[in-house]
Amino acid sequence: MTEPVWGPVHQDIVGLLADHPADVPAVVDHLTKLQDLLVRLPPLEASCPLADFNKLYLTITSTVLDGLYDDRFADPAFLARLDVEFAARYFDALRFWTESSPSTPKAWSCLFQRMRGPDARPLPSAAAGVNAHINFDLPFAVVTTLESLESEPVDDSDQHHDYLEINKIFAERIPELRRGYLDHWQLMIDMVNGDIDDWYQGELVEYTRNVAWRNAQKIWRCRHDPEARECERTRLDDNAALLGRLLLSPLGAFLQ
Amino acid sequence: MASDVDTAPLVGRADQLAALRSALLDDVAQGHTAAVFLTGESGVGKTRLLAEVSARLRDAGALVLTGTCLDIGDASPLHPLRQALRRFDAELTAAQARTSSAVRGLLQMFDDETPGPDGAGALLERVSRGLHLVAGGRPLVIVLDDLQWVDRSTRQLLLYLLAGLGDLQLSVLAAIRAEALQGAHPLRRVLTELRRLRSVRVVDLAPLDRADTDRLAAAVVGRPLTPDAAELVWQRSGGNPFVAEELARALRDGRDGLSDTLREIFLARVDALPQHAHAVVHAVAAGVEPVEHWLLAQVVRLPEEELIEAVRAAVAHRLLVGADEGYRLRHRLVAEVLAHELLPAERSALHRRYAEALTSATAELHQARLAHHWRLAGEPGRALPAAMAAAREAERLHGYAEAHRHWSAALHLADAPAVVPPDPDRATPVQVDRAELLEHAAEAAHHCGEHARALALLEELAGDPDGPPACALHIRRARYLAAAGRSAPAEAEYRRALAAADCTARERATAAAHLAELLLHLGRYAEAGEQAREALQLAATVEGSASEVVLASAALGFSEAFLEDPDAGLAVMREAVETAERSGRPEDVACAYLHLAELLTGPLNILEEGVVVARRGAERVAELGLGRTWETRLLAIATNGLFRVGQWSEAEKVVAAALRHRPSGADAVELLLARCRLSVGYGDIEASDRDLEAVATVLAGGGARHVLPMLILRAGLAMWEGRHDLARQAVQRGLTESRSDDVIVLATLAWHGLRAEAEAHASRTIAVDETAVRRLREVVDRVARKSQHAGRPVRYIVDGFLALCAAELSRLDGRGDPELWARSAAEWDRRNHPYPAAYSRLRQAEALLARRSRVATAGKLLRQAYQMAQGLGAVPLSSEIRTLAGRARVTLEERPSPAGGPPAPAPRRPAAALPAEPAVDELAVLTAREREVLAAVAEGLTNKEIGQRLFISERTIGVHVSHIFDKLQVRTRVQASAIFLRNRVEQS
Repeated sequence: MTEPVWGPVHQDIVGLLADHPADVPAVVDHLTKLQDLLVRLPPLEASCPLADFNKLYLTITSTVLDGLYDDRFADPAFLARLDVEFAARYFDALRFWTESSPSTPKAWSCLFQRMRGPDARPLPSAAAGVNAHINFDLPFAVVTTLESLESEPVDDSDQHHDYLEINKIFAERIPELRRGYLDHWQLMIDMVNGDIDDWYQGELVEYTRNVAWRNAQKIWRCRHDPEARECERTRLDDNAALLGRLLLSPLGAFLQ
Repeated sequence: MASDVDTAPLVGRADQLAALRSALLDDVAQGHTAAVFLTGESGVGKTRLLAEVSARLRDAGALVLTGTCLDIGDASPLHPLRQALRRFDAELTAAQARTSSAVRGLLQMFDDETPGPDGAGALLERVSRGLHLVAGGRPLVIVLDDLQWVDRSTRQLLLYLLAGLGDLQLSVLAAIRAEALQGAHPLRRVLTELRRLRSVRVVDLAPLDRADTDRLAAAVVGRPLTPDAAELVWQRSGGNPFVAEELARALRDGRDGLSDTLREIFLARVDALPQHAHAVVHAVAAGVEPVEHWLLAQVVRLPEEELIEAVRAAVAHRLLVGADEGYRLRHRLVAEVLAHELLPAERSALHRRYAEALTSATAELHQARLAHHWRLAGEPGRALPAAMAAAREAERLHGYAEAHRHWSAALHLADAPAVVPPDPDRATPVQVDRAELLEHAAEAAHHCGEHARALALLEELAGDPDGPPACALHIRRARYLAAAGRSAPAEAEYRRALAAADCTARERATAAAHLAELLLHLGRYAEAGEQAREALQLAATVEGSASEVVLASAALGFSEAFLEDPDAGLAVMREAVETAERSGRPEDVACAYLHLAELLTGPLNILEEGVVVARRGAERVAELGLGRTWETRLLAIATNGLFRVGQWSEAEKVVAAALRHRPSGADAVELLLARCRLSVGYGDIEASDRDLEAVATVLAGGGARHVLPMLILRAGLAMWEGRHDLARQAVQRGLTESRSDDVIVLATLAWHGLRAEAEAHASRTIAVDETAVRRLREVVDRVARKSQHAGRPVRYIVDGFLALCAAELSRLDGRGDPELWARSAAEWDRRNHPYPAAYSRLRQAEALLARRSRVATAGKLLRQAYQMAQGLGAVPLSSEIRTLAGRARVTLEERPSPAGGPPAPAPRRPAAALPAEPAVDELAVLTAREREVLAAVAEGLTNKEIGQRLFISERTIGVHVSHIFDKLQVRTRVQASAIFLRNRVEQS
């Protein structure tokens, strides 16, 4: 047989993915363990593009967890479940990829394919992951969460406000992460670009997250119709994959 | 029929077969349930595995019912089960007359079902009784294929039965296409929840590996394949057995090269079919499977012999399979291939023939199929009445989700222009009232929780000239909004209803009463009281408005209780019971009792009277024929009240009586949680575990309200098991999922969390999590802050928990502050809750002993606590008290309880945590104290640590140890420990 998908850490990752975290503390724990494994993945190790995304996602999720403890959200039951359901889709994608399954969403596989190189810049890598996760996974996670809570995606509800609150978390966390990525020549590019770069990151998230809410409402309306639902899924997957490839192309590196 | 065309052997699934058999039958303990959900891509062999497992289970003596879910969109409630029963009945021989009559009885029950209150729950109960009769003592296995298309009613039934609520020993085996679970499929979440349970397994059926693929291909071809051919099959099939088998067949028949893909294989076969057989496959593809033989005959319009020949040819080309009940396509892929082969006109002609054939004869799913075929035949006018009939049929079986789907389809049909010009020879189809359709659709949407859709339909209805008048619309909109949890717009709608010009006196009373209830839920007590008074005045002028009186009285009663005038509120609520008894419907009477009991046991904390009212109400509503729903609700209140006042054995009887009604949904969860609370108190780990699993099973189908009580119980149970890590996890999950205004839940969670950390600290099971402690402190502060603005009754409960929290924190900081524990004990004494009061005394005594001060007081406290715990039957608490008393050498006199008090129930089971009684020779020379010291030595503790544990000085321990060495004639601690351990082993 060919070499396992995850090389030397294959067994560890398979073992980790066999677990299905049930709450937000468990999701944070899971992402932490995954991060430790991803940075050991040759040949890129610490500069593994997926690790770049995973790190960002871990930071965001930890902030969400703090927010849940600190009374930041109006409907914590919704947000906590959304967070778990959302993460489950990332872990699902990883599981499909581990099994080399054709069911791996295209939105994700364009990032997973880059795991062994060629080296991608951290920022576009993280952005490609954010793109797959928000543009593709999020609307479905919203629908599943609301359905299990016997609720509905209603604009201006507590749940919608909590959902939008996550935008703020992204906004808070991304500039700081940006600085973490800087090195000499990037600093130069930044000086040339001014704030445009920050604008680009912040806008991407906020814009796509609102699109995701609208898409969730769209899926909600056809959720009992298997054919229409599948159609919507393919559409979102294709769109997200397109954007993902763009981010990981030389153009994406240029954006960094 | 000729379904036996050379079936390939089952390759590479031996392990799964064995595992499924034991999971579904051999390993299922008496009285338990089990489920396996099989997921996998299409063609991976799920259906085949289901069939093989079913055959083995049948051979092992199980009764297996097999059904298939349909993809024509929630066709009819419980369809897969009814189909399974019919299939089973058809297989029964004359010798099995008793089983057959049980099956027919159950099928008849579905036909006789009528809509009514609590219909859905009662139907579940009747189904489980019916299945009980059918099983006749044999293990029952329900096998369902294509579960991704399951209707909501069947889904609820499965969860109900798996939770053990039907009191039926059964297993469920279901197959789901993995592709369908991606995206937002409703089963996704259900499976995520279920897979955490011990009784449930989710098995992912992977494609075959290379060796098994080769074996399968060789078996089909009849000899080993050449390396090239084997490689080809492997590359193209990727181990998918369905694809591998078909490729191997193509190879064997020398068609290699033509068939690059499966699609091409099937296309080639379709092309090769004789003309009639061609017509047959297309006809089956357009039908709803299984297509009965008579129906197929009418659709293809062939003489019998030619038809049979055509069917044979289609089966031989492996495109069709036949069984007694009818024909289906061999695989979904066949349908996909065929879909592109027909012209739209050809297809609608086939649907027309189906519709015409079905019009003249009844068949399974009659109306739903009729609507489906007429619609696709391009005749909305004729589909419409069928869709309406299907909707009514679904409502009859309480399947509001399906009814809503059919009503919506009917609305669509009513709007659609006919594709085919109306036939002048035929009478024009019935004219339907659009407003009526909207009305039905909205109500069905409301019932199945599609709130936004219900509101949208109502808007359409408002625009319809034949729609209801303004006030009625406002009330209805408010009702829908309130059900959706959108309180602010609901309030506005009720106010608009009250202000509407066309509002009748009755409507005014209704709107006012509901508004009062809504305001109460929003915590606006003063306004709620005012509104309730107005509603009562309005209702007084309207004949037969007992429902409104009950509702308004409850709102008034609770608002007064929260506004610190409990007596006034209580008087109002008592009067409401009278009013309901005088002129109300049975539901009004039940509702009035329920509110009165809730008021007494809730905000007023008059527990004994609340329990009496709840039990009296339960008897009364049972007389009125509302046993299943209202009686169980009232008994749940009684159980919780009895638990709190410490009459646990009585509570146990009440909850058992309530569960005999086999309740479902939220009522069932409420009772299971109540019973679990008792089991945790008794220390019955197995029973608690089972109830928690059952609760989780029901909650997998939805219902977030009960998750937090479940987590609290999970933490409580983990505490007695010494699993402080699990307790911590449950608490953390609870804290991240509870609303900040839910101060009672937060306070309860905080206490459990702090207790887990304190016990971990004391027993050193796990390290104390400083971050968790910091967060718990923050929660305690926040709860203290927020509860100041809450109503008095809320504050009252929260203060009790905050006292416990403060005391637990003192354990974490040092050895525990006896003053804080004394305060907590006093708080709970005042609330008449002996359980936490006894626990607080134990800790107070422990804290005193640790300081070696006021030892006599500690002894008194321990005796009190012990007596209380014994009175409750609280085994783990008693045993902890005993352990501490033993260490401190306090005698706990076990006297019978004083005359006049309730008799202390005997502990239900011997306490597992009892310290080993000294009995055996070698240790007999030691005194009781020396044995305790020796036990601690054997644990590896130092003299200092032993001194701390037994509350005596380190030096005294040294003296004890030297005595032990002398008596046992040893010289080292290791030797002494060895003797101790050897004797313990012999005893056990």
